[in-house]
Amino acid sequence: MNTTAPRADMPPSSALIKLMGVVSLICGLLIVTTHQQTLAPIRHNQEIILSETVAELLPGAKKQVSYGVDASGNLSIVEGAEFAGPRLFAGYDAYGGLIGVVIEGGERGYADVIRAMFAYSPQKKAIVGFKVTELKETPGLGDKISSDKKFLSNFKDLDASLEHPIVTVKSGTKKNRWEVDAISGATISSRAVGRLLQKSTKEMIPVIQRNLQRIERGN
Amino acid sequence: MGHDHGATVSPSENMEAFLNGLWKQNPVFVQVLGTCPTMAITNSARNAVAMGLATLFVLVFSNMLISMVRRLVQKQVRIATYILIIATFVTMVDYIIKAVSIDVYKALGPFIALIVVNCIILGRAEAFAGKNPVWQSILDGFGMGIGFFIALFCLGSVREILGAGTLFGFSLFGSNFQPWVLFLLPSGGFFTLASWLLVFAWWKERGKAKEAQA
Repeated sequence: MNTTAPRADMPPSSALIKLMGVVSLICGLLIVTTHQQTLAPIRHNQEIILSETVAELLPGAKKQVSYGVDASGNLSIVEGAEFAGPRLFAGYDAYGGLIGVVIEGGERGYADVIRAMFAYSPQKKAIVGFKVTELKETPGLGDKISSDKKFLSNFKDLDASLEHPIVTVKSGTKKNRWEVDAISGATISSRAVGRLLQKSTKEMIPVIQRNLQRIERGN
Repeated sequence: MGHDHGATVSPSENMEAFLNGLWKQNPVFVQVLGTCPTMAITNSARNAVAMGLATLFVLVFSNMLISMVRRLVQKQVRIATYILIIATFVTMVDYIIKAVSIDVYKALGPFIALIVVNCIILGRAEAFAGKNPVWQSILDGFGMGIGFFIALFCLGSVREILGAGTLFGFSLFGSNFQPWVLFLLPSGGFFTLASWLLVFAWWKERGKAKEAQA
């Protein structure tokens, strides 16, 4: 039987584990301290960006109310980013009239998950604005979904009445209000946007309609 | 260069530790290390500056901590220990950038986390900080970090000026300028790096020729 004897210059395993334990403890303390110190400004920054996006998607909105949606579709007003679940952002004009509701969504694109926010108008039953908030699609191709003017014009009045599913169609073949005209050369990313909108509207619009009077009152 | 005996180090040796990374052993232009982040994030001067500062922070502090614990670290676990220390400072810098500017954080994307595997940092830990006193290791981190920062800025500024006609977002040539978008794409990164390497090689040859003449 062939047995290997431990090498004479090899320190005992307990010493190595002890060393790694001490270094890990120092490193852990450094990370936790930094996390604690930066948590408040990080949340503050995220809220500012969110609020700016809502204002951009709902032009004329003077007041914003953020609602958290629980698992059974009930709403509660939430402040800041302490609510971990999905959120809706209602925008109101200077007289307190509801302009629209901004919905968040995410869907797998070509390189990674595409995250976006879009404005829904309960009066028009349509999507009236769209902005990509996170994407890692191919520069010059897939990333056009966040900047291509023709593509973004799809979302000026996109039917979200839920009577027809929102679908992405081949570039230049859009015929109906619920269709999204794809970007030529960025089909996968364009289709991901169509799926994102279909999934989010299917989930959130019934919640908005059920709670519309409350959202209109802003309480 | 290594002298791990805790003896006092002369000011000239300190200066050499600092200047090495800055110029003579510049990590990008001379050692051609860390080219992955160099190519990926230098499509604007602002991203280059942010990545340069993040790497500088990680280099200085990881060099410092590694040098502080160098006598305790057994050679069998040194790489694991170095990676643990480097990853700690990368996580810290990740939080700090997110707290300072979400826009910069989004622009740098996954490359912040990838500083962990930047060969410049592990290279300095293994070649220098693990063998040298704390003060000299800090200076080495500063030298290499600033050298990397300069290299990123050289690439980022050229690519932004030619690819977008701007520098730090400010328009330089007016509305009639037709940007060379190629410079913002990966191929433009290779082209710019190659041009800078050419300049450095020419500079080196010129110095050698002058020395020979003298």
